[in-house]
Amino acid sequence: MAEIVAALAMTHSPGLTGWFDRAPEEQQRAALRATAEMRERLIAARPDVIVAFSNDHLLNWPINNTPEYTVGIGAEHVGPADWYDEWLGMPTKYRIPGHPDLARFIVNESVRRRLTLAYLRAMEFDDGISVPMHFLNPEGAIPLVPVTMNCTVPPVPTPERAYQVGTILRDVLKAYPGPERIAVIGTGGLSHEPGGPRYFWVDEDFDLWFLDLLKRGDHAALLRECTLEKMEAAGSGGTAELNAWILAMAFTHGPADVLAYMPAVAWRSGTGMVAWNELA
Amino acid sequence: MGHVERTDKTLPLNEMMFYVRRDARLRERWNTDLESIAREFGLSREEYEALRDKDVRRLHELGVHQYYVPQILRLFYGASMNTNSHPALEAYKRAYPEETAQAFALVERLERRTRS
Repeated sequence: MAEIVAALAMTHSPGLTGWFDRAPEEQQRAALRATAEMRERLIAARPDVIVAFSNDHLLNWPINNTPEYTVGIGAEHVGPADWYDEWLGMPTKYRIPGHPDLARFIVNESVRRRLTLAYLRAMEFDDGISVPMHFLNPEGAIPLVPVTMNCTVPPVPTPERAYQVGTILRDVLKAYPGPERIAVIGTGGLSHEPGGPRYFWVDEDFDLWFLDLLKRGDHAALLRECTLEKMEAAGSGGTAELNAWILAMAFTHGPADVLAYMPAVAWRSGTGMVAWNELA
Repeated sequence: MGHVERTDKTLPLNEMMFYVRRDARLRERWNTDLESIAREFGLSREEYEALRDKDVRRLHELGVHQYYVPQILRLFYGASMNTNSHPALEAYKRAYPEETAQAFALVERLERRTRS
């Protein structure tokens, strides 16, 4: 049976690759240090495959039909999408092998657990997958199964729902009949309001409070206190990307290590990196 | 709930943006032939004018998904080096001066904190 060997989460804001050097130097240093540590922890866990939970920014699905979750089942993932390459400062496409057998298993096994997942054989990639892969899997050496959620088109899903889906997917991944060592990565957040009236806003108080809840490691308390309303108040249509972190949290027990936090107005996003130690 | 809840999911402009972002031929026509793209996708006159005028507030009021508004501006102004002084972001500063001032106050607080 497959095994979960690492759980990590980080911000995926386009500024991290597109205009990195515009943030204060100490924020740049903190981001580089923390992503290097994430990468070290990832490599030390010797994963055969990364399952990355992110969100689709209206790239793969039009607004009239936005599935709750989508799995990329292709044999190879190529990104970023043309529309995103200039914005992300990634003129050259990256290519990362997929893991179609595991990806298709996730879709079909979830059906048996009453969870509907859409899938795409040719998924397009925006900042959500491209930015974390740039830092954590730059050579594309570790195969990838991307899983995107909708957290920007209303109704925005609740953290409780993300956690519930996380617990189902945890059971699904662990039921995979192969020896694969699987790393899970959540991407998105922290506070930001992409394209809203508070486009430049970073809610440092919310972010530190949220990270403290992760450090305390009491999942029930986090789900009780970190409501969707609080996320939306900290930055509408963006902060709820933290649902991907909460989904990843369902693969863990106990506290997370907060590797860095930067209230990065220059990147227009509360920016953070965390790693969990104990896996469920 | 938050600002994103103001999205009109059935607005033709929201449908149009999906296709423009995925189709290089539509993007090539953006700066020369916008009115006919708008017509092809069934935009109302109001939608087209808000788009043409790069009117951030009006686009929000019409129910354009907030995530699409900066993308619209990048189609006009270009997407590279999308820093806080890029023309797309300058348009936001003009549209939402109070919110912008609040956000940049944090930058000043951080600078003071770093110095002290």
